Amino acid sequence: MNSVSDQAFAIRASKGDVEAFKMLVEEHSGLVYRVALRILGVEDAKDASQEVWIRVWRNIKNFRGDSAFSTWLYRITVNTCLSVRRKETRRKEREYGGEEMPYLPEPRGGDADPEAAALGAEQREEIQAALGHVRAEHRAALVLRHMEGLSYSEIAQILDVPEGTAKGWVSRGRAAMLVTLAEGKHGRDEAGGTTR
Amino acid sequence: MMPAGEQRWEVLERIGSYSAGELEDGEAREVEELLFERPEYRRLAESYARMLVMLATLGNEPVEAPEDVVGYALRKAYLSAFLRSAEAFAGALGRSYIDAFVYYLGLRRESYGGGT
Repeated sequence: MNSVSDQAFAIRASKGDVEAFKMLVEEHSGLVYRVALRILGVEDAKDASQEVWIRVWRNIKNFRGDSAFSTWLYRITVNTCLSVRRKETRRKEREYGGEEMPYLPEPRGGDADPEAAALGAEQREEIQAALGHVRAEHRAALVLRHMEGLSYSEIAQILDVPEGTAKGWVSRGRAAMLVTLAEGKHGRDEAGGTTR
Repeated sequence: MMPAGEQRWEVLERIGSYSAGELEDGEAREVEELLFERPEYRRLAESYARMLVMLATLGNEPVEAPEDVVGYALRKAYLSAFLRSAEAFAGALGRSYIDAFVYYLGLRRESYGGGT
C-alpha cells in the first residue's frame, strides 16, 4: 500500500468505514508492533499496540491528511509508548565518568565477517536490554532514526519537537546506548573470564 | 570551565554524530584530527559504527504483530461502529415516535411526515 492509498483509506475510515480501517490495520500492524517492541520491550509491546489501534480508530476523524498517514501513525505509536514509560526513573545523562572511553570489542571474525554481522539471539537481547537503559524520549528518537531510518524532519514531526531537539535526543540516546552496551560487554567478559 | 565528566560526554556525542555521518565538513575534519591523535577515540568511533550496524540490522528484520493484536483492534472498531449506527437508528426511531405522539395528541397542526 502506498501513501496515496493510505490517505484514501484513512479518509474513508474517518467517516466510519470499518473495512477501510481494517485495511490500515492489516497494512501497518507490523510497523506499530515493531516500534512498540523497540521502545518498550516484549512485555509491554502487545498491550501498547492494541492501545495504539484503539486510539487510531477513536481519533481518525481528526486526521486531516496534512502529513503522511504513516507519520501520524508513528506519532500515536510513540506517544502511546512514552505514556507507558512516563513513570520511568530519569537517568542521569550528559556526563561520562568512566576512566577510558567505552568501546565494543570487535566480533571474532572481524567487522567484515558476514556471519558476525548477522545478529544472534544473545546480541538481540543485549541491544534490547541496552535500549531499555536509555531515557524514553531519547530511546524513541534513536529507534526512529537508526532502526526505522527516518529523517530528522520526520522525527521532529512525530515527536512534536524542533529538529534541533530531535537531533540532540538521538545523539544523547546513541551515546547512552553505547555506554550501556560497553558496560554490559565488559561486565560479562570479566565475569566469564574472557578477554578480547 | 566544564566538568571533566561533561566534557567527556560531549566528545562521546560528537564522535557518535561523526560515526553516523551527521557532521558538517568542518566539524567532521575536527573529529578526524581527534581520531588521528587518540587511538582511544578511534576505538570509540569503530564501536559506534558496530553499534549502528547492529541497530540497522535489527531494524531491518521483519516483525509481525501477534494475530490477536490485529483481531482485538478490529473487533473494537466493528463494535464501536455497530454501537454508533445503533445509537443513530435508536435516536431516529425515538424522534419519529415522539413526532407521531405529538401529532396524535393534536399538539402540532401539520401532518406527520412533514406534509401540510
